[in-house]
Amino acid sequence: MKYSYIAPRTKTVFTPEVKLMLTFFSITIFMLLSTYAFLLFKEYTFLSDLKSIQKSQSQLQTDLSKMKDDIVFIQKENDLAKSIQTKNLVLKDSITNLFDLVPQRITLSQAKLDTNSLVLYGITPNKDIYNFMLGAPLRSIFHRTYSSFYPVGNGWLRFVSTNYTDDDLPTLEGEADNEN
Amino acid sequence: MKIKISRQNIYLISVSIFLLIFVLIFSFLVLIPEGKGYRENRTEFMKNSKELRKYQDFYDKKQAQLKDLQKKHRAVIVAFDNKFNAKRFQKQYKQNFSSLELSELKKKSKKDEFTTYEVNTSSQISSPKSFYNFLEAVNKSDWIIQVNFPINFKRDGELIKSSFTMQVLSNTRDENKTKKVEKKSTH
Repeated sequence: MKYSYIAPRTKTVFTPEVKLMLTFFSITIFMLLSTYAFLLFKEYTFLSDLKSIQKSQSQLQTDLSKMKDDIVFIQKENDLAKSIQTKNLVLKDSITNLFDLVPQRITLSQAKLDTNSLVLYGITPNKDIYNFMLGAPLRSIFHRTYSSFYPVGNGWLRFVSTNYTDDDLPTLEGEADNEN
Repeated sequence: MKIKISRQNIYLISVSIFLLIFVLIFSFLVLIPEGKGYRENRTEFMKNSKELRKYQDFYDKKQAQLKDLQKKHRAVIVAFDNKFNAKRFQKQYKQNFSSLELSELKKKSKKDEFTTYEVNTSSQISSPKSFYNFLEAVNKSDWIIQVNFPINFKRDGELIKSSFTMQVLSNTRDENKTKKVEKKSTH
């Protein structure tokens, strides 16, 4: 026997109010969780980026220190090369000056150049020409000058002029020591 | 007065309160501290990035300086790295001498990264000018050479017999490094 003309509604927990409330909270919780996930992801990327930054920084520091050493070394090489080039040119000038010093009338047969000494062998027409034209300039350059003469058959004299300077001229090793 | 609340509404309010408490607890205990951590990490990251950029700029500057120096002093660097070759030397400078003989290269001293080798030469020149030319040319040679005392000139007929010492400088910096690495690897 029917008491109603309409079909009965099936009762459900999900009433429109519950649905509304669940929708609201679902959206809220979804937003909270996605924010949390975003923060976790960012934390992970920050940490990995920080690690890579620290790695690059330490690599840069190593490279920089190597590069600084290279720069200092190149400058050292260049300075040393320049100093050697200057010494060679000074040596050239010294030898040029030495040979320019010898007058036309005196003939050199041998010249021995050392760091602090110069020994000249040669022949001169007489002692005076030697003393005025070669001995005097040599005495003005060197601290100690000794000359000895031996007669040659034709009246000319063979001479040996030994000249010393008391200054210790810097040698390559000495200069390197000083630099250190 | 009696408030009549249906059972369904009680369930609704309970679930709402539970979810609200969950949202609040989650926000205050998890999300906000995590957010603070994020901000701290971001600040540190920015600070480190700035520092890295500074390092990078300084590195670029030094690299440019190094490259510039390498380019500018290329000849000197190559000359220091070159090993002395007596045959090549004789070939290069024979035009300055009537004859040129070199003794064996002897290691003389070692200071820091440089080793000095000594080589004695005996030669014959037609005039002192040839020797001057040699001294000028040796500065542009493939090696770093210092002509040193004792220098001896002796007349020999029309020619002049000359003998002098040459000091050849060589860079042993890289060799030292290689040796150190080899020692480390053997230990």
